[in-house]
Amino acid sequence: MLTDLGRRLVSGSLSDESLMRATENTPNLALVPWANVVKIGGQSIMDRGRAGLMPVVAEIVANLPRHKMILGTGAGTRARHIYSLAIDLGLPVGVLTVLGTAVAWQNAQMLQYLLASHGIAFLEPEGFASVPHYLMERGAVICQGMPPYKLWEQNPDLGRIPPQRTDTGCFLIAEVFGARKMIYVKDEDGLYEADPKKDPSAKFIPRISVQELLKLDLNDLVVERAVLEIMLNARHVREIQFVNGLKPGQLTAALDGEPVGTIIYNADAAKGSTP
Amino acid sequence: MSGAQHVISKLMRESLMDRRVIAGTEAPVRAILPNLNVVQIGGQSIMDRGQSAVLPVLDEILANQADYTQVIGVGPGVRARHILSVGLDLGLPTGALATLAAKSAAQNAYMVSCLLASHGFVYLEAPFIVQLLPAMLAAARGAVFNGVPPYDLWEHPPALGKIPPHGSDAGSYLVGEVFGARSVILIKDVDGVFTADPKTHPDATFIPEVKAADLIAMRLQTLPIEPVVLELLTRAKLVKSVRIINGLVPGNLTRALAGEAVGTLIRS
Repeated sequence: MLTDLGRRLVSGSLSDESLMRATENTPNLALVPWANVVKIGGQSIMDRGRAGLMPVVAEIVANLPRHKMILGTGAGTRARHIYSLAIDLGLPVGVLTVLGTAVAWQNAQMLQYLLASHGIAFLEPEGFASVPHYLMERGAVICQGMPPYKLWEQNPDLGRIPPQRTDTGCFLIAEVFGARKMIYVKDEDGLYEADPKKDPSAKFIPRISVQELLKLDLNDLVVERAVLEIMLNARHVREIQFVNGLKPGQLTAALDGEPVGTIIYNADAAKGSTP
Repeated sequence: MSGAQHVISKLMRESLMDRRVIAGTEAPVRAILPNLNVVQIGGQSIMDRGQSAVLPVLDEILANQADYTQVIGVGPGVRARHILSVGLDLGLPTGALATLAAKSAAQNAYMVSCLLASHGFVYLEAPFIVQLLPAMLAAARGAVFNGVPPYDLWEHPPALGKIPPHGSDAGSYLVGEVFGARSVILIKDVDGVFTADPKTHPDATFIPEVKAADLIAMRLQTLPIEPVVLELLTRAKLVKSVRIINGLVPGNLTRALAGEAVGTLIRS
């Protein structure tokens, strides 16, 4: 009863490149194609407290009737503190991930308090089967942005910071659900050729392919490098957008499909067949 | 960054994407459980063969119980291949395939834990590995876990195709690496790494020891280990080798636990 590919999968080796290639041209089913994933930055938005966060919350509420949103949170300054401390104590990257996840969790819980009166729920990774239901019923759902890798996080190429944090976790949520948009809300207008906080003359980049961006090999980036690497292999998410949450209207514009902020897109042809 | 309410730390206000900042975090790592041995039982290679292959492996684990602290990872096998096939046909994304396939390994791990239960082994799901492994190893004689890492919906889409790249070899290695284990031993149904698949190429040459980077460069058509583990080994901090042994040969696990040169040792 197996398909031809299924017969090869059952008997073959998963390290066989030709078998992996045979899985390339399979269909891509988008599970929740009307959902938007919106990541609220940790250091950039959450850590600003009322002044930074409340206008973003107001904009989320205003968009509830118009756009379905999965709201992920970043970690921020408390994660930086515990990463510093844990590195000093000699703890491995998997333990740092467990610790950093707790900070993103705190931010998600705070965001949920602020949106509680609108009936918005906070779901842990174990509850993700309910995400489509909450999106349909309430228009949005909150999650902590870290991927649930815990002790199974991988060592980075360089240094001791977990390489796959909340940018990556939110991107992978958008990819697995086949979401309509992946929008990162930070405190800059988007991508610059250097950190604009340290170099005010840094040039703004409104639109760039992920291939070009990787080739530029910038020393600093607006997004985790892991997102760019995974984006090359993604089968659903074709572009990601970065908006300034300190400027009212930018999130709404991005949800409406306008090219505000910076868009990083995949210039390669889409993979797989459409069912 | 004016406006944010910071906690003072070395990384305060820094971009964690900045290579100079990241490089500045390089420092030694401590082994949390240096006496731990991670032993992974292959799914298709051992579990799917039933008692003729599984029971001798478990007997050998028990024979070494007094001398070595062992946690047993277990792989998924043919049921995972089946659900991958159905899921691919339906167009499910890689993260959904990973979530489904991991359950097959959980079943195998649960069976192994039942067979070892009377000897004091416990089955630990991922959250309990995070919270309870040291306590369980102090109270129980060993632990069994699902070899597949809990990446679930967050599994990476692979560079080629749609099959989840992180299986039970990767998960077992990562458990060893994070705890700073004494050894990571993968039990399969082949003697180790050959220049070609020995089941179809009788003239294939055996490789007793090899560096992960060299093995990647050899671009062999098939490997008895998930290719992603080779990449993980190149970034190892604590567990700098993985040994692959043939579990159908009695005595191999005992020799591997004793640190003898059996099977193939892949080094970082």
